[in-house]
Amino acid sequence: MAVCLSLLCASACRRDGGTPPPPAPPLPVRATLGPVKGTVSIKRAAGDDWVAASAGTVLHDDDKLRTGSGASAELRFSSGTVVSVSEDTLLGISETRGVPGRGQTDVTLLRGAVDATLDRPANQSLTVGTPAATVRAGREIVFQ
Amino acid sequence: MTRAALVIWVLLAATADETVVRPGESLAQVAARTLGNDRAGPELLAFNHLEGTPAAGTRLLLPGPERVRAVSAIASARSAIGQAPSGTTRTEAEARLTSAEGLLGQARYADAAAQADGAWKLLADARQETSRFAVAVEPDGRTRVAVQQGVPVRVEAQGRTRAVRAGETLTVARGDPPGAPLSESSRAVASEPPQLLTPEAGLKLALDPVPGGGLGPVRFAWKPVPEATGYAFELTGTRNRSLRTAQPTVTLPALPAGSYKWTVRAMLANGTLGQPSARALQLVPSRIKLEVQEAPWQ
Repeated sequence: MAVCLSLLCASACRRDGGTPPPPAPPLPVRATLGPVKGTVSIKRAAGDDWVAASAGTVLHDDDKLRTGSGASAELRFSSGTVVSVSEDTLLGISETRGVPGRGQTDVTLLRGAVDATLDRPANQSLTVGTPAATVRAGREIVFQ
Repeated sequence: MTRAALVIWVLLAATADETVVRPGESLAQVAARTLGNDRAGPELLAFNHLEGTPAAGTRLLLPGPERVRAVSAIASARSAIGQAPSGTTRTEAEARLTSAEGLLGQARYADAAAQADGAWKLLADARQETSRFAVAVEPDGRTRVAVQQGVPVRVEAQGRTRAVRAGETLTVARGDPPGAPLSESSRAVASEPPQLLTPEAGLKLALDPVPGGGLGPVRFAWKPVPEATGYAFELTGTRNRSLRTAQPTVTLPALPAGSYKWTVRAMLANGTLGQPSARALQLVPSRIKLEVQEAPWQ
């Protein structure tokens, strides 16, 4: 009995003291960078610094991406939608802290230009928010 | 009424928007005021489970986002049908759209949205066409949307939605609702500089002085530009004037004598300005007033 109690106490003590918290669940991947050209950098939602990005870099909610002069990049969303990012462009990915009442967008374009391609618009969608408007392409998100 | 039903009723009453019928207000007027559509009166009644014209002081519940979704889906379906070639798919889509509009009129918003989406998907599946479009944020903050291929893209701003079809471009200024999109051909025509008519180029225009000062009247005229919704007129020089007009003429009652340049640009349906046309002008008095003073020795 005493042994059992001591074992229970030991396990309880281990849980209460110094055990590292469980790892945070992985962030959902919203888009992956395709080929990049020139100076392309990203800023993570939780970070303050811009870091160089390359093909294969994954992007999550509220990450930002910018291209320099003469640069370009390609964003590939999990739906298969491809967004080509022009030079001198600044955009946000799936911003959850966007304009109130406007809902979440896939891309928030703050500066510059993007070209979007939806191969299967009957099953895909893309929402691009800008300072002046919201652009919706493909099927209404609510019905997917 | 059961307790659960009572709770649901109280919650709905507390969260949904309401309106009160004003004295002398017809059902159509209530619908126009609250839903932006004077033909949506029966829908408003259906939503409130009422029959007949509600009396003044009647409190009416107003539909929320579920109606916005249904209206948006119907607009998308209507736009897609407008683009679709005639055939059995289009006919079937039109039937679904009619059904969706009927369901909207009965305030069955989820069913209406599903029907409209079904119509849209029928046509989108039939087209199997890749959708390509570009979005750009101009340095002045305006957003330009150009659709190159595929099903229409929807542009929303200030609570208004516009469909932009393949070959069309739409520009939206910050704080403005989207205007009408421009097709490639109309954009090319409308962005051409207006052809100026009078006063002729390099003219020294002699005009009579008018009471109150200045010379006038001065009439500026140019050829109408197809697809233009109006014109931006600008006069610079001895006096500056800038104004918008729907007509291809501007008449200024009086201007001081001097040198001017006048510029005209067509305004396009989407709010952008076309190429400018400019011309120089010199205004001189037609009669020189002579004042002869008497010499003191006379």
